[in-house]
Amino acid sequence: MKCWAWLALGLLAAQAGAQACGEALGAGARRIDSAQFQLAFKLLPDPVPVGQHFAVEVVLCAKGDATLPAELRVDATMPEHKHGMNYRPSITSSGAGRYRAEGLMFHMPGRWELVFELRGRGAPLRLSQSLQVG
Amino acid sequence: MRRAAALLLWAALLPGAIGAQPLASPLSNDDIPRILAFGPWPPPPVRDPSNRVSGQPAAIAFGATLFQDARLSRDGTLSCASCHQPAQAFSDGLPRARGLQSGMRNTPGLANVSQQRWFGWDGANDNLWAQSLRPLLDAREMGGSLPQLAHTLRSQSDLRKAYHKTFGLAPGDDDERIVVDAAKALAAYQETLVTPRTPFDDFRDAVARGDRAAAAAYPATAQRGLALFLGRARCYVCHGGPNFSNGEFSDIGMPFFIAKGQVDPGRHGGIQALQRSRYNLLGPFNDDATRSTATSTRHVLLEHRHFGEFKVPSLRNLARTAPYMHDGSLSTLREVLRHYSELDENRLHADGERILVPLRLSEGETEDLLAFLDSLNEDRP
Repeated sequence: MKCWAWLALGLLAAQAGAQACGEALGAGARRIDSAQFQLAFKLLPDPVPVGQHFAVEVVLCAKGDATLPAELRVDATMPEHKHGMNYRPSITSSGAGRYRAEGLMFHMPGRWELVFELRGRGAPLRLSQSLQVG
Repeated sequence: MRRAAALLLWAALLPGAIGAQPLASPLSNDDIPRILAFGPWPPPPVRDPSNRVSGQPAAIAFGATLFQDARLSRDGTLSCASCHQPAQAFSDGLPRARGLQSGMRNTPGLANVSQQRWFGWDGANDNLWAQSLRPLLDAREMGGSLPQLAHTLRSQSDLRKAYHKTFGLAPGDDDERIVVDAAKALAAYQETLVTPRTPFDDFRDAVARGDRAAAAAYPATAQRGLALFLGRARCYVCHGGPNFSNGEFSDIGMPFFIAKGQVDPGRHGGIQALQRSRYNLLGPFNDDATRSTATSTRHVLLEHRHFGEFKVPSLRNLARTAPYMHDGSLSTLREVLRHYSELDENRLHADGERILVPLRLSEGETEDLLAFLDSLNEDRP
């Protein structure tokens, strides 16, 4: 097999591996990529109703030789209004990069930024995704 | 799919919303989901899992009796209804509450109280029975004590009988348990206080049904006010949902100072009181063994920005709950709109938050907003 063919197969395999992150979350899972990680998450419920508590299921996958961080924090802010949530989510880990955040609430309609902070030995890594609510 | 159907519906309702014809309404297709989110009304009754007698007829009847009963106050002169007067939409018409002593906040009406997540202007309670207990024991309000109240409930034959009928046993030896039970009966009664439908609800349902004729009956001034409420003024951001409140707290630039040297900390103090309270939903008196009702309490966040925040009130039935604001300092809704029109941004945005800006309302816009707010009253024009 030619070199380019091996390269293509390698890329496909890598892509298939990346796609597998958070597969267990099923349909409706959203994903955020960084150089070292892919983070898959699912909002429960989705769409999130304004003014009601919701949860987030998270699966974090390391890329290459990256190691999973020791801690995951979840928060949300409303950049337009310069404020965050009125509630601090609680995070439980079930191991192997799987987490569940509970107690979140978007108390206003508008654009929110859901922020995942990965905390390990180095500087925290922030991954975020913008969500339109209400 | 539902959204697409709603848009078609609106197009049928408002001929000016599409095509080249002039606009027949100030509202647009984009407003439909937000209009629909203000209902339906009334909401279906929901039992409170933290209160084992919630929704039970005996408890509601017992609570209604207790609500009017001055024997629950320290000196026998005040009942819940002394301040929460049924004829005044369960408010008192005074700027600040007046119990055994003068209070520092306006008496909120109790209508639709079952729709709330937090209770009181500062949200110091997370459930209605704890909120009902507070004035019974507060020295400034009814001034009672657990032993005095329990004694009254045990010794007065009518109350003892009603307690037995509600809870299935006679009042026991545990003073605190008896008084909390009485508060749960009071809560069961207050859960039944729901405001009737309004002209706005008829309009909202007409939009939902695609009933063009019925929607057209909603006054043009109120429609313009609604368009402003959803548009430039962005009132719906906090005053959203069927009860026209997101149930949370905001600093809208009202004064912190209640008297010389006295500051009302608002939500900041409310969260601290909540977390200290033995009667919160994480405590031993919550009848919901799963504690699923305690999610908000478990996760609530105390930050400096909560200082000076007060609960976002419902806008239903405002005509009967004057004066306004947590301190009762604004006598009319026109004064309230003037407050929003002339907000002091320097005072408001000290912490960098950017929700409110002065609306600079014209006289016509003020009239339109007043017409819209009037359509949220039960009394039809």
